[in-house]
Amino acid sequence: MADRGRGIRVTIPSDVSYLEPIRTLIQEIASLAGLPREAVNEVELAVTEGCANVIRHCYCNSDRERIDLSFAFADDFFEVRIDDYGKFVDPSRIKSRPLDDVRPGGLGVHLMRKVMDEVTYTKNRWGGTSLTMRKRLARPGEPRKDRSGR
Amino acid sequence: MTIQVKREALPDATVVSISGSVDIYSSPELRGELKVALDGKVRKLVIDMDGVSFVDSSGLATLIEALQKVQAYSGKLLLCNLSAKVLGVFQLANLDRIFQIRETREAALEG
Repeated sequence: MADRGRGIRVTIPSDVSYLEPIRTLIQEIASLAGLPREAVNEVELAVTEGCANVIRHCYCNSDRERIDLSFAFADDFFEVRIDDYGKFVDPSRIKSRPLDDVRPGGLGVHLMRKVMDEVTYTKNRWGGTSLTMRKRLARPGEPRKDRSGR
Repeated sequence: MTIQVKREALPDATVVSISGSVDIYSSPELRGELKVALDGKVRKLVIDMDGVSFVDSSGLATLIEALQKVQAYSGKLLLCNLSAKVLGVFQLANLDRIFQIRETREAALEG
């Protein structure tokens, strides 16, 4: 993550009980960054899904691993990076199910892509996966992007 | 825990009221409460989400699972009292077209 001047880093165990406190933290950071309420909710959702995928798929539900989260913001974007220390996941294998195939599961990646403007997976220097998600901040007077997909 | 779940058996329906965050952490507890109602093959299951502040894909998966089980025995499942934030997540996944969603508990019990 490039130096944006403003940001925060936090490390949590790969334990799903930590996701609620992380959402509380996001509320605070996103407010500091000046994100509108709806955008804060969307970042909360995307980060929850990103961390849940790491815990479930990368760490096989072990709560003894580590997840690093970095939040950075500037005038026109809010960026979150989630780093894990597992195996690098090939982005081409990360797919969501078709929405008309209604069944439990397979929605996490879809939700992340839907609510964030950029979602990228890269190999990090520890050999794990770095998930970077960026949300563009609307300029005053600019209409919000319709994310309902209708 | 990040969730509270209450189950009430009414004459014509079972109401499961949820409050808190329905996420990967709390979904197993919700699944357990719903299982009790579903094992009894209740004809109408109303899930009152008045106190739900957050839902993620695990929460959606739990509700889809319940819906499919109810449909398998020709029962009915309705959701009610969704906040705009929670309804927004259903809309992102097009699930507002799959679930029967009512504004109030009364409307859900009638419908």
